[in-house]
Amino acid sequence: MNRKIFLFGYGKHGRAIAKGLMGKGFRLSIIESDKKNHKASKADGFTDTILFDVTDDDNLEALVVAPEDELICVMDDEHLNVFLALSLRPLFPECYILAISGSIYTSQKLLMAGADKVIDLYEVSANRIHNLLKRPVSTRFLDKILSDNNGFSFREIEVPEGSFLNGVMVEDVNFYVCRVLLIGLVDLGQGEHFRFITSGDEYTLDSGDQIVCLGMDKDLDNFEAMIKKSEETICVWPS
Amino acid sequence: MQLIRLWILTTAKRLNRSARYKHVKKNINEILNNPENPFKKYIDLVMMFFIITSVAILVYEVQHAVPEWMDAYDIYFVSSVFLVEYLLRLWVHTDLYKMVISASKRAHILEIEFSLRVPMIKAIKKTAKYMLTPAMIIDFLAILPAYRELRILRVFVLFRVFKLLRYTKSINQFVEVLQNKRFELLTLLFLLMFVMVTAGIAIYIFEEHLNPQINSLFDALYWALVTIATVGYGDISPVTHEGRVVSMIIIVTGIAMISFATSVIVSAFSEKLIQLKESRIIEQVNKSEEFLLICGYGQMTKMFMRQRESDDHDYVILEKDKDKYNQAIKDGYDAVKEDASRHDTLAKFNVEYSRITILCLLNSDIENIYISLNAKSVSHHIRVIARASNASMVQKFKRAGVDHVLLPNSVATMMMQTAIIEPHLYKAAHAILTGKDVAVFDEVRLYPEDALVGKRVKEISFKKMRLLLMAIEKAEDREFLFNPSSDTVLKSGDVLILMGYRIGLEYFKEFYHESVK
Repeated sequence: MNRKIFLFGYGKHGRAIAKGLMGKGFRLSIIESDKKNHKASKADGFTDTILFDVTDDDNLEALVVAPEDELICVMDDEHLNVFLALSLRPLFPECYILAISGSIYTSQKLLMAGADKVIDLYEVSANRIHNLLKRPVSTRFLDKILSDNNGFSFREIEVPEGSFLNGVMVEDVNFYVCRVLLIGLVDLGQGEHFRFITSGDEYTLDSGDQIVCLGMDKDLDNFEAMIKKSEETICVWPS
Repeated sequence: MQLIRLWILTTAKRLNRSARYKHVKKNINEILNNPENPFKKYIDLVMMFFIITSVAILVYEVQHAVPEWMDAYDIYFVSSVFLVEYLLRLWVHTDLYKMVISASKRAHILEIEFSLRVPMIKAIKKTAKYMLTPAMIIDFLAILPAYRELRILRVFVLFRVFKLLRYTKSINQFVEVLQNKRFELLTLLFLLMFVMVTAGIAIYIFEEHLNPQINSLFDALYWALVTIATVGYGDISPVTHEGRVVSMIIIVTGIAMISFATSVIVSAFSEKLIQLKESRIIEQVNKSEEFLLICGYGQMTKMFMRQRESDDHDYVILEKDKDKYNQAIKDGYDAVKEDASRHDTLAKFNVEYSRITILCLLNSDIENIYISLNAKSVSHHIRVIARASNASMVQKFKRAGVDHVLLPNSVATMMMQTAIIEPHLYKAAHAILTGKDVAVFDEVRLYPEDALVGKRVKEISFKKMRLLLMAIEKAEDREFLFNPSSDTVLKSGDVLILMGYRIGLEYFKEFYHESVK
């Protein structure tokens, strides 16, 4: 993983995100305009933290950013966030810009300013209320999957080079035996979009494709180890 | 005498012990007087039917002969229904037995002789006071036509129209509006009387002998009122210059007074309009079996309302801030300008008979906890879903009795991390969690008569409908069976958890649930 993460803002959200990324092998650079937040980031043990005025383009230009790097805008001030996204876009046209938003209107503005992805604070939670009211059982199920400590999780797995899955149709793989559930995949042969398995189209797995599975952690571990092998029959339906 | 007293005391004690008696009395009181009782609506409709038919018969009777059965229905049946209602109202209003018991206790403590006089007088006073309220007088007059010997009493059937007031709330509100402006309207009435009497006396003095139409002071007063009201029949008109000057003055005063009266009434209504609208919204929602109370109209509420799929009016937004309230109204939502942290506000809703879910979506933990506690104190049946600012608050919300706690900040942070670490997984999770059309989670509950019951998973063409069977919540233990094998047999009471396209899910439900019938 070579890409570097530039985290603009070490406030309410920035702090939690930075801590979540800690120890996961990312190169992280924290940029702040606020002295207090900057100090807090130092105190939390981040070494690559910079303090400067993000509204000044000269400062931003001085950053060493490679095209594959990601820029995360999570300043506490929403207006500043929009301004920052707008400034970053022309400076680093190839970078992926991710921003957080606290209202529908800000989301729209952030997208217009050039953010690639905007995460709305309330979108997920509001949907959760709808689900709680309308689909109580499936919500309980989702909660169970998503809570950290039950051994269940979603996992993104890359089909390794030389795996027996190479060139196999998705239909022909018996995921049930491996006790995992395939949710969707990125079939590089058909573009970089994520596709849900329920779309009904036919996909052929190749090395480099990403598959997203759901299951118990240990089953996912087994599965991941298994698909590294070049010969495996248990997982493929006998034709 | 001693014996009667003893008998009354023991009866009172027996009634006090009887749960059934109290239960019946309470239920009757509810049906008669509690507007939130679901049965009251039907009783009211029946009563309104009796009133309307009774009045219709009277109107018809003016020019036609009515058949005997109709007359009997009107005189005996309707009247006795009203009589029963009247007696029941009197009965539930006063608890004589309680008064007797408290008097006997008092006598016992003070060691004086127990006397029936005090509780009796107290009960009679209370009942008499109740009987003299306008509503009860009208009820009483509506029963009178049953006494046939006095023909004049037939006219009292018209009082049954007033009785309608009891059963229709909108008329009550109209009266209420006028009552609020009582002072202005009374002042105006006195002014009108003053001008009318002065003008009447003036014209009488000026024209008593000159005008053949004015023969008495009554004629003069009649003329004055007709003129002030700008009706002007013209049967009496002034003939002298002095008289005409008086007319001119009172015509001008009359116009002023009429417009003033109109403006007073109109302004009273416009002041009340918001309140009327709010009470209508509350009434409307109270009729539904299940509804939502949403506290606060902030970003979270806006998002929630945007995601709503139905247009049902089974919700009310409670917002105390004026600007936000106006915004909610402007956005076309049912909102009420009320403070959800007040007990009275929540008590207005039908907490007894409807299933209420309250959403505390304000930006402050303190407010949200306060409202949650308030809701739980109003009724334990209210389900509370509240928003918390961070995970350390969850424990506090749980202690306040909140059923579900939402954490928008941590969820957003988690999504952000996923987006950085596993971008493809993020897309999947985001689509699922925000309910995008491509990946919706849904559940199908199986009922005994369902076509799916008894089938094996492999016999059902989930794949054809582009659905993924993720798990089954088993009927036996309500545990999840994740990724069920193709040989699993479906049972009644199981809940299937499916993921797929929205259209696929809709089709599945239609296909299997329709085929049952």
